[in-house]
Amino acid sequence: MKKDLVDLVKVARQAATAYGRPDLEKRLSTVSASVADDRARVLVMGEFKAGKTELVNAVLGGRALPTDAHRATTVPTVCVQGAQRSVMLARAVAGGEEQQQVAPAELAEHVTEAGNPDNRAGWSYAEVTLPVDALDGMRLVDTPGAGGLASPASVSTMAELPGADAVLLVCDGGRELTAPELALVRTASAVCPTVAVVLTRTDLHPHWRRIADLDRAHLDHAHESLRRVPVLPTSAALALHEEASLLAESGLPDLRELLRTEVVGGRHARRTRMAADEVLVVCEQLSARFRAERDALADPGRAQRISDELERSKARVVALRDRAARWQQTLNDGTQDLVSDIEYDLRDRLRTVTTDAEAALDDTDPAKTWEQFAPWLHQQVSAAVSTNVVWAEERTRWLAERVATHFAEDGAGVLPPMASPEGQVMAADPVGLLAAPDHEKFGLSQSLMIGMRGSYGGVLMIGMMTTIAGMALLNPFSVGAGLLLGSKTLVDERKRALRRRQSEAKQAVRRHVDDVIFQAGKNSRDMLREVQRTLRDHFTTTAEELERSLNATSQAAKAVEADGAKRQARLADVAAELERLEALEQRARRIRESVGSARLVGA
Amino acid sequence: MSGAADTRTRLTDQARSVVGNAQRLYGSGPADPVTDWARAVLHDARSRLDEPLRVALAGTLKAGKSTLLNALVGERVAATDAGECTRLVTWYRDAPSPTVLREDLDGRRGPVPFAQDGEGLRIDLRGVDPTRVGRLLVDWPSRGLAETTLVDTPGLDSIRETNSRRTLAFVTPEDRPSGADAVVYLMRHAHRNDVGFLEAFADLARGGAGGLGAVGASGTVVVLSRADEIGGGGLDAITTAGRVAEAYRADPALRPLCQTVVAVDGLLAETARTLRQAEFTALRALARAPRAEVDALLLSADRFCSAEPPAVVAEALASDPDGVRLDAPTRRALMDRFGVYGIRTATTVLRRGARTGRGVVDSVSLAEELVRRSGLEELREVLASRVVGRRDVHKARSALLAVEMVLARAPRPDTGPLAAELERVLTGAHEFTEQRLLAALRQGQVTMPADTQPEAERLLGGDGPDPRDRLGGADDVRAAALEALDRWRTRAESPLTSRAAAEVARAAVRSCEGVLTYL
Repeated sequence: MKKDLVDLVKVARQAATAYGRPDLEKRLSTVSASVADDRARVLVMGEFKAGKTELVNAVLGGRALPTDAHRATTVPTVCVQGAQRSVMLARAVAGGEEQQQVAPAELAEHVTEAGNPDNRAGWSYAEVTLPVDALDGMRLVDTPGAGGLASPASVSTMAELPGADAVLLVCDGGRELTAPELALVRTASAVCPTVAVVLTRTDLHPHWRRIADLDRAHLDHAHESLRRVPVLPTSAALALHEEASLLAESGLPDLRELLRTEVVGGRHARRTRMAADEVLVVCEQLSARFRAERDALADPGRAQRISDELERSKARVVALRDRAARWQQTLNDGTQDLVSDIEYDLRDRLRTVTTDAEAALDDTDPAKTWEQFAPWLHQQVSAAVSTNVVWAEERTRWLAERVATHFAEDGAGVLPPMASPEGQVMAADPVGLLAAPDHEKFGLSQSLMIGMRGSYGGVLMIGMMTTIAGMALLNPFSVGAGLLLGSKTLVDERKRALRRRQSEAKQAVRRHVDDVIFQAGKNSRDMLREVQRTLRDHFTTTAEELERSLNATSQAAKAVEADGAKRQARLADVAAELERLEALEQRARRIRESVGSARLVGA
Repeated sequence: MSGAADTRTRLTDQARSVVGNAQRLYGSGPADPVTDWARAVLHDARSRLDEPLRVALAGTLKAGKSTLLNALVGERVAATDAGECTRLVTWYRDAPSPTVLREDLDGRRGPVPFAQDGEGLRIDLRGVDPTRVGRLLVDWPSRGLAETTLVDTPGLDSIRETNSRRTLAFVTPEDRPSGADAVVYLMRHAHRNDVGFLEAFADLARGGAGGLGAVGASGTVVVLSRADEIGGGGLDAITTAGRVAEAYRADPALRPLCQTVVAVDGLLAETARTLRQAEFTALRALARAPRAEVDALLLSADRFCSAEPPAVVAEALASDPDGVRLDAPTRRALMDRFGVYGIRTATTVLRRGARTGRGVVDSVSLAEELVRRSGLEELREVLASRVVGRRDVHKARSALLAVEMVLARAPRPDTGPLAAELERVLTGAHEFTEQRLLAALRQGQVTMPADTQPEAERLLGGDGPDPRDRLGGADDVRAAALEALDRWRTRAESPLTSRAAAEVARAAVRSCEGVLTYL
């Protein structure tokens, strides 16, 4: 399947080169890059101790990742297919990523509370390569659970959502979905193509069917879009039992099937449709010129009319490329609005955090509570930034769709017809291209997290200074003088010191939040500029390609031979070229249709 | 220990006097809404002093609150279900005859029809809109309720938000003292949200000048309630859960917020305390069947309940000497009552009993053994010594906090003497001093030299109020108390000791004296 697709794009690229259209060839080269890496990214999320790692092990069909009754996973673990078992740890360092290979047996020491509590080692993720067929076409990401005492930063997993092809929300089969879990499903289904609720430990819970029904009802009731979210009951214990016949009762075959058809297959189908559409667009542009030449050759009297018509089309395409074109304005205005909206949203969310933080500090002595307070603040800030990133991604997608629609509307009549209605709007799946390779690996969120880590370290230092200052004031020797002054003064002195510590802590919070707004704001502005540039380049290039196609076509129409015999020979050549392109087009259509029907089966 | 009980009763008398004086004071004057509110709060505070201790069972969704309530009562009174079940705050009180009352938000009460079918009470609200109902009052003749009124609450993180709000409004209401004198907080694992709720219960800001908290850490016991699931239902699940509980007891996030953390398998506890003879014979038949077949059957709940078990298993189950037929409905009923871990444990215990001829051989001894293995015994001991055993302290605290709240929110010019009396009792009672200092030590508001803090906490009752607990389990309590008294007196008088540490040391001295006085 994949080979066919790679082949198709290759042949189309050769054709573009052969017909002297390097611009179209370049366009297709982006497509082959995105077709080459066809691994779906699957996030396994959920509350801590819900059985996520157990479930991943069950999917892999062996105890590849470490599990424990008490200690939870603290580092995201990416499972990929490979010839040999190996483990690589990665952490962000200034200007890039530091990677380190470790022995597979030592994995638990690096990714769980046992050896790496609170992820003190600062790993951003672990990549486990396994020779397992179940991972074919997939990156399976086991995330640290939300809500554990030892996983304050786990909300950052939220920021991974936009790049994911699927989210598996793992819940214990002994109880219904809780309010936070339902909220997570809702967010995930807004940005990911596939979301599923996976119930675990059905072997222990006799009433898992009731729970599954209740969850189904909660999902249906919560939102229209959640009706398509499946609830899958599973038991890792049964799936991993030495007796193979238990696998059928474990629910794992259904889950694997979902991953294979809907997630991996779905991603493949989306990529295939995108690539086939691109090839069709290229074919259309290449054959337009031959069609015009054929018509002119067949009836030399019409040549002038054809040429005039083409000139008119060209004028419209030029207008389409113009900076004043409607889609350009949509893009420019939209980006500007987005920048300010997203920044406002972030400021608004963080203002709430600041208010809460200050209220909390008013009631406590920062010298005593900072150690609990700092992780809390970190969690609140991460949650705010993550939600903001997810929201930004949604809005960006919407903007890209609007620009594509306006471009298609402005160019109606001159743009080559698309193979399908969805193709008309998402001519080249611009978002798909944007989200392609480098976004794949903890890209977007990582930069945010680094920024935050950097500034967070700053607060931590201030925080420690505050704590030390507070300790000094309560030290028996330093209050020695106060003892002489009598208890009342001492109390007043302590109150003043407390107030000073509180105001220092509040300033630290405000500085930290300002840093985050600056860093995250800059990141989202950069991201949006990048999106704007990519969209503008993409559509401008499309218009330029069209212009070139029209030029070639009108030249071909004009250059009709007067000599009858030569004209006949050329007509035969042109017919042969058209036939070749027609064949390529047919092939692209067939490939496109094959995934179309495969998707229907999957659904 | 009758002497210790005397001082506590003295505390109750003092609280009664404060509340009585407050009632007299607020009894006169205008009938404006604030004064009416104050009268209602004081009336409630006064009657609580003469009622059994109110213990609320709170926790997140499906933590097993109703199940544990039944286990503590020893009867299936609270209905339990796989889905969210308890939607109203429900009080279970001892009474001569069973009745169920509905109390609406406007305070009106009316009887509610109910039926008991062995699965808990089926209470029929007759189409009354539950949002109008304030609480349900179940009067139930039971020895298990003689000393405490148990209050079942809806889950704290329900999708149906109104249910969660009911619980918070009961335990930490805005406009009146907490409805509970003590809280048993149930959780599956220590989730950040759990810590958040516990913080709200222990909230010092709301405890007023007394610094005692809405319920207070001293009135809160945390239960790891689904102990059977923690270890994946294996035979060592409860041991694993015990280890987890121990880790939580030492966790700096949980330590200041509760008395202690105990692991309990609520389902097994409930079932063991209400074990039926038919269940015993069914389990015995199961224990007699070949072990390999039973183990295969117990791989999953589904298999165990299956209508068509593998032929070899079916045969084993059908050949019991007493003619017990372990058909699918019987097995399903067993699974509902015991869970996978419960059945595994019960059959293991019975097999050992049959082999050795000693230990567990009948339904009484099986029930005892299962109660022991469920962790319920430990919880009951903790409740007896730290909650019920100190009911006078908890009740007095609730009453005094009510008066404090009235004084703050319904101020009058003539409350001076009352405020002074309240202040005297709150700061004068050594029991409150202990609680206050213990909370301050655990929350780090007061720091001691690191080598003395654990002993200070223990002497103040941090490991339990019994003399032995206070003295670290010493054999000769008297000698240990004398020795500690001496050491802490020196520390209290040393000029090098900080003011705060000296206060702790003085309190420790008084605690030692208390132990010695009543030995």
